[in-house]
Amino acid sequence: MGWHGNPETSGVRSVTRAGEFARPAEEDRLARLGWTDERLMTAIVLRDEPAFAVLYDRYVDLVYSASLRVLADPQLAEDATQDIFVRLWRRPEAFIADRGRFLSWLMSVVRNRAVDELRARGRRRRREAMGPGETEEDFLAAIPCEQDDPLQAAQVHEEQILVRGALCALPADQRRALELAYFGGLTQQEIAFALHEPLGTVKTRIRLGMQKLRRALQDQR
Amino acid sequence: MAPAHITQEQADEFAIGALEPQVATLVALHADDCPECRAMVAASERVATSLALGAPRRVPSPGLRRRVFKSAGLTRPGLLGMAVRVATAGAGVAAVLVAVAAFTGMVSVRGEVRDLKTENAGLQSQIDDALSQKVEIAAITRRLSDEEQTSNELRLAARGDRDLLLALLSPESDVAEVFSVNDSGPAIGRLVWDEQQKKVWFVASHLLPRPAGETYQVWVSSGGRYFSLGTFNPDDSGFARYETIVPAGLKSYESAVVTIERAGGSPERTGPSVFVTDLSRLRR
Repeated sequence: MGWHGNPETSGVRSVTRAGEFARPAEEDRLARLGWTDERLMTAIVLRDEPAFAVLYDRYVDLVYSASLRVLADPQLAEDATQDIFVRLWRRPEAFIADRGRFLSWLMSVVRNRAVDELRARGRRRRREAMGPGETEEDFLAAIPCEQDDPLQAAQVHEEQILVRGALCALPADQRRALELAYFGGLTQQEIAFALHEPLGTVKTRIRLGMQKLRRALQDQR
Repeated sequence: MAPAHITQEQADEFAIGALEPQVATLVALHADDCPECRAMVAASERVATSLALGAPRRVPSPGLRRRVFKSAGLTRPGLLGMAVRVATAGAGVAAVLVAVAAFTGMVSVRGEVRDLKTENAGLQSQIDDALSQKVEIAAITRRLSDEEQTSNELRLAARGDRDLLLALLSPESDVAEVFSVNDSGPAIGRLVWDEQQKKVWFVASHLLPRPAGETYQVWVSSGGRYFSLGTFNPDDSGFARYETIVPAGLKSYESAVVTIERAGGSPERTGPSVFVTDLSRLRR
């Protein structure tokens, strides 16, 4: 099974949670649950509130999780998530369907927004969130290769399990280089400095890591 | 002049944000103009997305949804409206009014905070727009520079055409037919020799393109020795118009020959001949 497509059960927040609010009309929202991301975005351009509600419910956990991974601060991660979705509602035309998949675009926005916040705060708050004796490198390299808890295991979508499997199959040094760049907001020069490794070594790790990830994801399709 | 294409390695580094900002900007600008590179970057971004998908799943606080919809302007007055309805129902009028007043105060403060956040988001949006415009202006400036260069090249080509036309009209010029040799195909050519402008043109069509590492080179023989007049390559249609100056110091010309040499030209004639012509009847 491929990792393309719209996450369903894991990304969709419970109907009861959506029921906290009287709007948008529940039947309208339910009617849009099966829509693709791109169709929802087209509807959002036309100011379709139920479409926005469906897209929010589908991706809020993912956006929040990625933001939290970068910022390591629940409040900051929520602020970033709020900002991202508000901007998505106000400027949906920023997504150009011809240029690529919605999910790639969204995660690129999330990563850039969170890294900008991180840089603005000089990583101070993330250091405060780490455990005693834990380095920033340890923190970022700590993607768990087993499920965190049974509840979460039930919620994680099958595609995400496959993706996590591909990530965990990477050699630790390659995964660390990718994560320091993607979640740590470090350039390859900064990674080389942080790891006390030559720039060429870091570039090689990134290249090999991306190659293996690409191959693993293709094999899963 | 087309810039170099993005490599797979650069696309991967760009997708995970590992490039230095200046390099990342160049990659983004190029991908914007080049569909092939844009597709490669998009594919790399799909792989990079897997990093985010692999992050441990966490759930935000239940109040986030309300805050998002409120900031987006999608929330209608809910709690306050409910309080008003309760008040109008007449249940516990005084207590409810006091509670509502206190709550309203809290909501007011929270509302101000949210308004400030919204305003901040608006300002951030404007900054983003300004940055986007800056990138667009840089792209337009670069295109204008490219077009100016193309315009200059066309102007030079037009001047060359005019000079060649004058040479063909001049009584001081000679036109020599050149003869193709061996497997040079249907190629035809003329050598135009203009003593007045002190210029020599070699014009040919239906020339075969040379593979990488090879070029055509023009030679003139004088006193049994060959002197290079330079190298040229045809355009995509097989047409070539090569222009150079009349070699100084030569008293007589016997023949001209076009050979195939290594790229950059050879100091001595070594490659096979493509064209030859007799120059002994030219005026000097």
